[in-house]
Amino acid sequence: METEIKIITQNWGRINPQSIDEYIAAGGYQALFKFIKEMDPEIAVEEIKTSGLCGRGGAGFPTGLKLESVQKEKVTEKYFICNLDESEPGTYKDRMIAENDPHMLIEGIIIASLIVGAKKAFIYINGNYKKSAEILERAVGQAKQKVFLGPAILHSRYGLEIEIFEGAGAYICGEETALINSIEGKRGEPRMRPPFPTQSGLFGKPTAVNNAETIANIPWIIENGGAEFAKVGSKKSPGTKLFILDGAVKNRDVVEAPLGITLKELIDNYGGGIYAGKEFWFAQVGGSSGRLALEKDLEMKLEYDREAKIPLGSGAILVVDKMADIHELLLSWASFFRRESCGKCVPCREGTFRLWEIAKRLRDGEISDRDKAAIEDILWTLNNTTFCPLGKFAATAFGDALQYFPKEIYKLSK
Amino acid sequence: MNVTTEKILLEFDPETKNLLPVLKKISARFGHVAKEDAQKIADYFSLPLSEVFETASFYDLVKTQKDPPLVIQVCSGANCAIKSANRVIREIENQLHIKAGDMFNPKVKLEIISCLGQCGSGPVVVVNGNVFARVAPNDVDDILRNYV
Ligand SMILES: Cc1cc2nc3c(=O)[nH]c(=O)nc-3n(C[C@H](O)[C@H](O)[C@H](O)COP(=O)(O)O)c2cc1C
Ligand code: SF4
Ligand code: FES
Repeated sequence: METEIKIITQNWGRINPQSIDEYIAAGGYQALFKFIKEMDPEIAVEEIKTSGLCGRGGAGFPTGLKLESVQKEKVTEKYFICNLDESEPGTYKDRMIAENDPHMLIEGIIIASLIVGAKKAFIYINGNYKKSAEILERAVGQAKQKVFLGPAILHSRYGLEIEIFEGAGAYICGEETALINSIEGKRGEPRMRPPFPTQSGLFGKPTAVNNAETIANIPWIIENGGAEFAKVGSKKSPGTKLFILDGAVKNRDVVEAPLGITLKELIDNYGGGIYAGKEFWFAQVGGSSGRLALEKDLEMKLEYDREAKIPLGSGAILVVDKMADIHELLLSWASFFRRESCGKCVPCREGTFRLWEIAKRLRDGEISDRDKAAIEDILWTLNNTTFCPLGKFAATAFGDALQYFPKEIYKLSK
Repeated sequence: MNVTTEKILLEFDPETKNLLPVLKKISARFGHVAKEDAQKIADYFSLPLSEVFETASFYDLVKTQKDPPLVIQVCSGANCAIKSANRVIREIENQLHIKAGDMFNPKVKLEIISCLGQCGSGPVVVVNGNVFARVAPNDVDDILRNYV
């Protein structure tokens, strides 16, 4: 697979991540030079639109359109936020970016901020990622010394300051409006939209929030051009993607593969195949909020596509083998969403709690007919009536499992 | 050096974006945000006490109650769960005669927590802030020996 293009991971293991000089020697910060010397924000945003880059934080929204809508806002105070809250179970790709190539991320943040006209950017980082936050802090200091940050970047008319904001242990703060509330010192509950953050975000100002992996693609696009990027990977969503492989695969690791790859190719060629002696049962795609892929779904393409039966989400792939205990998974999902429900709306607060209780009784073989009847109701309510997508997430894998594996799930119960 | 709440407050400007960092810092330094400290924070930021508590009570990394001297956390994220995290939890429960989620034991707390982003080396157990990776039920004895 060495012939395939590497964008995000090109420097991993090759340079000292804490040396800005090694990053520069490997061709780093060339995109920033190019942007400052040859481009203006309107041209740069066109390149990103041409590239077809879309959000790697889960929803797959076109990045160029988001940056453009903030760029077009006619106020002087704007913000750019790098979302490194990463708390989806099974997902640690953004942490790997921060630890293996922090300067690629910082270069991307600088360019994206200048494109939208922000003079201040935040990196909102998961509160458990202490080491990564220190690495980024040091990298920001080095970038300041080289005048890649500060009031006059490379002595141009552009200025930018980056502040690292550490989260405080709440999954919901990965949702962009909850994240914004959290920086503002409030409870991390999602906000009603509209207004969208691109119009009224942090401190009521236009704000672009992008996932760390999305941002790490930007230097490559600026340097090589959007058209070049659009040739990589899938037509629907060009580029590469970090996948986090775990479970019954030989190679449990973060890998970079072109989008459009099938699940089978990913498992075989990047994951080294199924662990010896184990047999594929299903895979969960996109972390605990993701759907379940069965054997018949193995030929499915992994790409960002609104119509996809199995959305890609964060890119976490958990391969589950036939020896696994489905009850442990049901309980893990349900307890996660019960813990992480922010409590703002009743259907999710109560629904995730009830689902967790039922998951415990399922494991203990104590399920009643009343429970069985209630499950459908709870799942429907979570799917259709909650304030933010977390409610739906809580019902997704649980619902899939009940639909696909009722025998295994109810076998302990009468 | 004698760190006081006042000294910590003075490290920050009283802007709302500093409220969560202040709460985290005071919680980490003193084990929790006590009511008197919450009042000092409210005064410093010119916020009603209720707003300070609204924020403080929301986040896992800000404590409004002091923890017992021994806090054991086990990740139960799907990737750890599939690697038998639950057997590790049961082993800890049996050895220490406690129940996960019991908030009222004055000596020890066993907490089920969400993914720490260390899934590749799960199951992950955290004891008083020290992280242990790839923990099997057999390892529990060795790990706990240093703490009890
Ligand atoms: C419950 C919930 C959790 C989320 N967690 C994250 C996260 O940890 N990281 C992230 O980048 N996006 C997360 N998102 C998506 C963000 O709201 C937002 O769409 C994303 O940061 C936009 O960046 P992108 O367009 O580059 O993907 C989450 C969304 C929801 C509803
Ligand atoms: S769906 Fe859940 S997480 Fe989202 S607002 Fe409602 S309670 Fe909060
Ligand atoms: S699931 Fe346990 S560390 Fe991620």
